[in-house]
Parts: sequence; structure tokens; C-alpha cells
Amino acid sequence: MKRTLILLVTLGALLASAIFAFGDIPRPKPTPAAPKARLYSSLIVTSDAKASEARLIISEGTLKSLQDDMANRGKGSLGQQIMHSSTRTIMAGLFMFLAVSFAGVWFARSGKQRSHKAIAAVFLVALVLGLATVIVRANAGPPGFVRWRNLPEALKAGKETEGGVDIEVVPGDEDLKLIIPLRTK
Amino acid sequence: MERAENISISGWPSARAGDQSRVPARAFAAILIMSALVSAGLASWLPLQLSIVTVFLFAGPHNWLEARYFLMRLPARFGRSRNFYLVAFAGIGLLTLAYISLPALYYTRVWSGANWRNAIAGWNTLMILWIAALVLMRGKQKAQGDWFWALPVAFALCAFNWLYPEMFSLAIVYVHPLVALWFLDRHLRRNRPEWLRTYRRCLILLPFLLAGMLWQLSRTAPLQDDNGLFWRITQHAGADLLPDVSSHLLVSTHVFLEMLHYGVWIVALPLIGATGAIWNIRTIPIANHSRGFPKLIGAFLIFGLLAVLTLWVGFSANYTLTRDVYFAVAMAHVLAEAPFLLRMM
Repeated sequence: MKRTLILLVTLGALLASAIFAFGDIPRPKPTPAAPKARLYSSLIVTSDAKASEARLIISEGTLKSLQDDMANRGKGSLGQQIMHSSTRTIMAGLFMFLAVSFAGVWFARSGKQRSHKAIAAVFLVALVLGLATVIVRANAGPPGFVRWRNLPEALKAGKETEGGVDIEVVPGDEDLKLIIPLRTK
Repeated sequence: MERAENISISGWPSARAGDQSRVPARAFAAILIMSALVSAGLASWLPLQLSIVTVFLFAGPHNWLEARYFLMRLPARFGRSRNFYLVAFAGIGLLTLAYISLPALYYTRVWSGANWRNAIAGWNTLMILWIAALVLMRGKQKAQGDWFWALPVAFALCAFNWLYPEMFSLAIVYVHPLVALWFLDRHLRRNRPEWLRTYRRCLILLPFLLAGMLWQLSRTAPLQDDNGLFWRITQHAGADLLPDVSSHLLVSTHVFLEMLHYGVWIVALPLIGATGAIWNIRTIPIANHSRGFPKLIGAFLIFGLLAVLTLWVGFSANYTLTRDVYFAVAMAHVLAEAPFLLRMM
């Protein structure tokens, strides 16, 4: 009981000392907010010799998704919410640190055989996760600009070119802009 | 002695009859499977309607039976478990008070609701640490095993909770009904060990049923939550937190689990665990003991029955408001399950 109390007091003092350390950290410089990709879709670019105006055709489904996204614009994604909440990030980090530390203490307290089994299990899980990550990344496919490589030739030939597009909604009333990721060789 | 060993007990069938269960294990399994299938079918078919009906009918009675069950498991004298029960009851009281205070402060405009995510995460953290303390205290009373693992697990849960406080709260909504199945498992182990194996085999059906519901309902259209009550039910099931998941699936799953929960507390446990009639307070150790409190326990149970009646009247008068109030106050019974489950381990 006494040992636990001393441990808790030490831990408390250690955490309290973080306040002084925090005082030495300068305020972060405000960074301009970059426009965020709102919706990922597929885009087909084609030419029409008979048309007199350029046309942008959007399906009802895509438009509805955009409208829903605009309605929820203030909320942000779950990841963004976490990133913007320093208190929650700090608390989560603190508890992760405590979890890992106490797990280490537990391993040390447990019998040798059990520790080996537990460590083997942790390694197995890490290996499975690592392999899964490799497999998923391997299936990610080529980067998006590869699909747009032959756009100029295709336009000249009157053929379609299809690739991915990030639809971004930015503040203001500027004209529509389509940016094609064409790489110079 | 040899002659005594060779005496056949077949001559006294009546002497063994009392020890055997009246219902064979196969019939027990059939009842369990049928109940689970019917519950899953009804919950998938009419989720909103069933949610309203089940909460109206069973919420109050299941709380009363649960309270009575806990009283039966409460020892007449705490002895060396005094600190355990002290921490348990203090935690139930304070955490319930804090849980009810948050919406109360918000609706009385004392608190603007600013940083409500942090408030939820803080409450969840206190609850996790309270349960971890109970696990450690219980572990110290057990001769076998090292229960220190509870601390890293608790801290890991706290970390997850601070990252996704609302998701953690939603997880409690879905996990809580399953705790009743754990109670039934522990009770069968003590009182009907011959059914335990059958029961555990039947539990394997549960993930398959849930997977079946997921398969059938994941692509269904969201439920029409255009009125206040339906909206509350879909929100309670997590429709706002999981917008990409069909609200039909969420509500059906929650209702299915709730039906299992009510079935365990209202039907299964009283039938297999009752040591007498439920109105007989002499089956409760703290009332039956020579230095017990029979009048206090009797008054508590009568007050509980009045609360059940009041709940029914409230549901009839204003279902939505009563449901909100009930689910806030009912946190007490969710918390109470932790120490009593630990005592059965």
C-alpha cells in the first residue's frame, strides 16, 4: 500500500513537472489552412468537335455527396477532430504511455514462460499487421498522374481519358478550375 | 465399507430426483436457440416498434429483478470484502450522480455544453479506473492468478476513450447487454453445471446471428427518423456517429442485444437461480440474517415496484421524455453489474 502510494505520488510529481516543460515551448506559428480535398471521384475528359461551349457534367449522386459534405463542413472528419483537440491528444498519449509502461511491469511480474508466450503473441500480431500493411500497400496501384499521361495525345485523337479527381470546394466565387497532373518528362 | 460401496442407488430414485434438473440440457439449448432466433428475426423486421415496446414493457421489471438478484448476492456481513464493497458502492453513487448531472446542468443552462467531448471522456476514464480498481481489489482476494493485467488494459481503454469518446460511449451501449450473458454463464457454473457446456455452445450462435443480421441489413435503407422519438432511438444506436452504416442495422442489432439482456434478467436467471419465490425476502441473506435488515430490504423492494409502476405511467404519458430520463438513471444498474460480476469470479 505504502509502495503504491509512493509510486502514485512520484508519478503525479512527474506529470506536474510537465507544466514547467510546457512553459518553455514557443507558441506554434499559425499556418495558412490549405484547401482540403472534399470528395474523391472519377473524371472523364473528352473532346467534342460539335460542341460550342465546354461542358461540366456532374451526376446527381456526386452532387448530393457534395451537398452533404458542405452541410457537414464545420464538423470535420474524426481524425481532424482529434488533431484539433490538444487536450484529448495529450490525454490519449498519456494513457498510452501508462498502458505500455504497466504492460511492461506486468510482463516483468509474470512467470518467464508466460512472458515468452505473451511476447511471441505480440510479435505475431505485429507480423500479421505488418504483412497486411505490405499487402494493402501493394494493392494500392500506381499514382494518379499515370492515368493522365496520355491526355494531350488522347484529346488530339478525340479519345476519352479517365482518371481520379479530388473535388475541392474553396471559399470565394472564382471560376471553376480543373487541374490535370501532367508531368513533364 | 465394501458393502456400503456396492449398495446400488437405483433403489432410491427419489433421493436423486431433487438433484437433477427438470429440464434436460437439450430442451434448454432448444429454448435458447429459439429465443435468439425469434429475437433476431423480430428485431430485424420491426426494429423501431420493437424498441419502443420492449423498453416500455421490460425496462422497469428487468431493473427490479436485477436489483433483487444483486441483493441475493450481497453477503450479510462484508468481512474482508468491506473495502471492495465500499469502493463499489461509492463508485456507483458518484458516477451515476455525475452521469445524470451532465444533461441536467446542460438543460438547466448552468453548463453551455462546451467541451462536452472532454466531459464524456473524463467520465468514461473515471468509470474505467473505478472498474480497474475493483478488479485489482478482487484479484488480491483470489489466491490464484495475477490480476495486474487489468491496469495496462484499463489504461489502453482510457487512451482509446480519449481519442474517440463518443465511440467508447457507444461501445458501452452495445457491450452492456452482453454482460447479462456473462452473468448467466457464472450462474450456470455455480447452480447448473450440467447446462454450462450446452450454454457455451449455444453462445457460438450469437456471432453468426449478428453476422447474418449484418449481411441482411447492411444495405437496407435508413430508418425514417422524422419524429423525435424515432430520432432518439436511432441516435441511441449510433446513427449519427456511424453515418455510413444503415440505421436499420444499428437499431436492429441494439434491439436484438437488448432483448437477450431482458430475457436473461427477466426469464432465465429468476427461473434457474431463484431459491424461492421472488416476493420472499427470506431468500436474501442481508434480510434473513439474525442481524440483517428485513424491513429495510422489504421497503426497498416495494419502493422498486412503485418505481416500475411509475415508469409505466410515465411511458404512457410521455414516452420520449420518460425514455430519456430512464436511460440516464439506468446507468446505475450498468455500473452495479461490474462489482457483482467480479464477485462471481
